[in-house]
Amino acid sequence: MVKYLSEEWAAQAKKKVLDELDQTKDLKNMNASLLNVVQNVPPDQKTMYFYIRFVDGKLEELLASPDESIKQKNAEFTITGDYTTFVQISSGQMSSAMALLKNRVKMTGNKIKAFTITKPIDTFNMCIKKIETEY
Amino acid sequence: MNLSDVLETTKKEPHCGMCKIDFLGTGVCPAGKKHGFVAYWPEGRMELARALAENEVEPTETLIDIVNSCNLCGICDRQCYFITQRRPTQAQQALKDYVKTLKPNTFKPIPEDEIVKDLRSIVGNDWATNDPIIIASYLRSIIKQKSSGNFYIVMPRSTEEIVAIVQLANKHKIPYLPRGNGTFFGVALQTLLAELCSIEQGIIIDLWRMKDIHVDPGSFTATIGPGITSFELQKAAHAHKLRANVAEAESCVCANAQNLGIVTTWSNTYGWGTDNFIDAEFIDSTGTIMHLSDKDIPNPYASAQGLLSLSLIPSVIVTQLTLKLHQILDDEEAIFIPFTNLSDALDMAHNLAKRNIGISLAVLSRKYLTEFISPTHEIAEDFNYIAEKYLKLNYIVDVICDKYHKKIIEELAEVTFGHSMIKSLILGSSKLASMKESSLLKMIAEEEDPLKAVFGGPMRKHFEKGLAASPHELVKVFDEDLRDFFEKLYSKPELTDPVWLHSFRILPCRMERKHMWMYRGGYMPGDKETILKVVDALEKPAEKYHIEGAFGFLSYLERGKLAHLEYDYYYDHADPDARKRLNKAIVESWRRQFAIKGVTPLEFICSKGLHRKEHILYPFPEGLSEEDLVHFEELIETLFGGEDAW
Ligand SMILES: Cc1cc2nc3c(=O)[nH]c(=O)nc-3n(C[C@H](O)[C@H](O)[C@H](O)COP(=O)(O)OP(=O)(O)OC[C@H]3O[C@@H](n4cnc5c(N)ncnc54)[C@H](O)[C@@H]3O)c2cc1C
Ligand code: SF4
Repeated sequence: MVKYLSEEWAAQAKKKVLDELDQTKDLKNMNASLLNVVQNVPPDQKTMYFYIRFVDGKLEELLASPDESIKQKNAEFTITGDYTTFVQISSGQMSSAMALLKNRVKMTGNKIKAFTITKPIDTFNMCIKKIETEY
Repeated sequence: MNLSDVLETTKKEPHCGMCKIDFLGTGVCPAGKKHGFVAYWPEGRMELARALAENEVEPTETLIDIVNSCNLCGICDRQCYFITQRRPTQAQQALKDYVKTLKPNTFKPIPEDEIVKDLRSIVGNDWATNDPIIIASYLRSIIKQKSSGNFYIVMPRSTEEIVAIVQLANKHKIPYLPRGNGTFFGVALQTLLAELCSIEQGIIIDLWRMKDIHVDPGSFTATIGPGITSFELQKAAHAHKLRANVAEAESCVCANAQNLGIVTTWSNTYGWGTDNFIDAEFIDSTGTIMHLSDKDIPNPYASAQGLLSLSLIPSVIVTQLTLKLHQILDDEEAIFIPFTNLSDALDMAHNLAKRNIGISLAVLSRKYLTEFISPTHEIAEDFNYIAEKYLKLNYIVDVICDKYHKKIIEELAEVTFGHSMIKSLILGSSKLASMKESSLLKMIAEEEDPLKAVFGGPMRKHFEKGLAASPHELVKVFDEDLRDFFEKLYSKPELTDPVWLHSFRILPCRMERKHMWMYRGGYMPGDKETILKVVDALEKPAEKYHIEGAFGFLSYLERGKLAHLEYDYYYDHADPDARKRLNKAIVESWRRQFAIKGVTPLEFICSKGLHRKEHILYPFPEGLSEEDLVHFEELIETLFGGEDAW
């Protein structure tokens, strides 16, 4: 069991995605970078950052950190929401597209491109939900 | 009477919300008016009777209070019967008999948690609850059936109370969702859109108590709270010889404004969306009060097009709206131009739209005409059959205009009819239905142009006479104990006055009396070719999945540059197989509509009603490419799962 958004969790998540998902079939050779801004993380309601970057469907980077400097990576998409919503997304209870359409998260970035990567991002979330995680 | 005896009726409860407005002059349910929560209104009692029969909720002590608060006065029977031919007092009687079987003092206590305590401190003890019985009455009209979430219902009275509720929800990190009269939810929650527009846990903000209304005839405006319905606003405006651009009677105007921008048959003249809104006060997700007129709000008019712009959850709660009102002319009249073909009807309507002729202007289908004006669904079906088979009457260009425009229309159209014929059709509809195999109708059908013969030629007199139209004749089809009431009602001039009926729109909910329906259609360029393509794109999926599909109405905007089409799919929402077929037809209709340049399906307008049309309908969207359509399929799968899950 690893703590959600901890370094260990990030390492396990990266390994799982690299081991289990096919770059073409599952991740559709996508090129995209996303910064998730997770607000109100318990116990002290801090903000955590969770950054992912794919190149041709390969997960190049997956980082989770409380350090704001991660913003300098200039992700193509920034998705901001509450901790409880990100728990729902990462545990597979709600797709990120559903969270977006239900106004549970806010997104900046090109919506037309976002529309083309909803499926591979969903596949990514379905994969990491299998990590035994303590939320 | 058992709950199972009325289950067939209660399962089909459409949550049309008409019993919450005084549209027949009977007053409304006294218990509902006193307690407010849906559970105390006829629609809620219907839902409770169903949920109890289907073991979706356990009785609590409040059920006794709800049941005892009804004295079977029968107001709801008159209202609901007029719309849906249902009699809610039967469900109420079944509930009364059911509570007699319950042992006293066996109810589980309802724990008062922190959130409900805080909500009560905001709105007062009577107006916030977490009682499962009250929550169950909101099933299928904001909460999905079989939801297991923790819910609270709160009924605020002021903007400040809503601010406090939003802040409380944020503090506890739970969702909240406003509910007007629940009619949009009633339609959408039966479909695959349910997940997208409902609340899975959290606080339901029922806005019914926020009924402030002020008409300022000097500035031709009205300022209203979010509990005011279209009927109530129209009534207040008419008292000053003014008219509001509002949709069907029971919808809350603020909900409709935020949700769909309010599109009506009057839209070619009165406009759409912010054309009619002078200012709005709303509360954002942080609980901050804003106004459309504020200089420093995030641009309220900006909106992305495209598939990810779909949002069926409002991003703000409208707490006050100031709308334009329009003058009513002394010489307004209804004039109808009958057509056999849609293409011809569109030509005529577009010609009128371009010339700005008609204050209200629409192409109406045979289905709407017959369903709206017939007193029962059976009569509507017979009338529909007669119109199609004998009269060759499939579409009507439906106009309300002044006497000058009337003259022009009479010059342009070969055949027209007006108030007197519509009155005869309303009051004579049962007689007409009985003439299904009559020699008069057969004779008419043999004419070269039956429409001309009936509505323009020498047969018109015989036809109208044959209808023997009178309130006394009409009400013979009603339940015996209701006939006196309905005879008096149908003797009131407004019930047969097409101008009044277009303003007050008390008839559209009759669409829900037999089956549930689902809106299709949307906005598109006003040219005929595009409109016909869209109609085809909506017809095909209905045929493929054996769903009854029918053209509803089409209205033009901006002198015919744009058109809004409502096409409907009808299905039995109590039948799981029909629901599955409906969902497949919905997805396929999106696919087909998106492939047509310029088309924005109705769902993609949702939550953008406070925007300017220039920002959401222009530039006309490009049709989706083959590659986009593949991504579209993927998005659908991500949102709703595979076809089997629908
Ligand atoms: C028979 C029928 C005919 C119709 N015809 C038309 C038509 O011709 N033209 C047209 O424009 N529409 C039409 N509609 C659609 C309907 O008017 C709108 O969807 C309207 O929102 C329903 O009002 P309501 O009070 O029942 O809303 P609800 O079902 O209670 O709510 C609808 C949506 O609005 C949100 N909401 C409610 N109140 C507020 C608020 N104060 N602030 C922000 N969001 C809020 C809800 O969360 C929900 O997302 C029709 C609907 C029916 C059932
Ligand atoms: S069908 Fe309409 S009028 Fe009848 S009880 Fe339900 S909401 Fe009320």
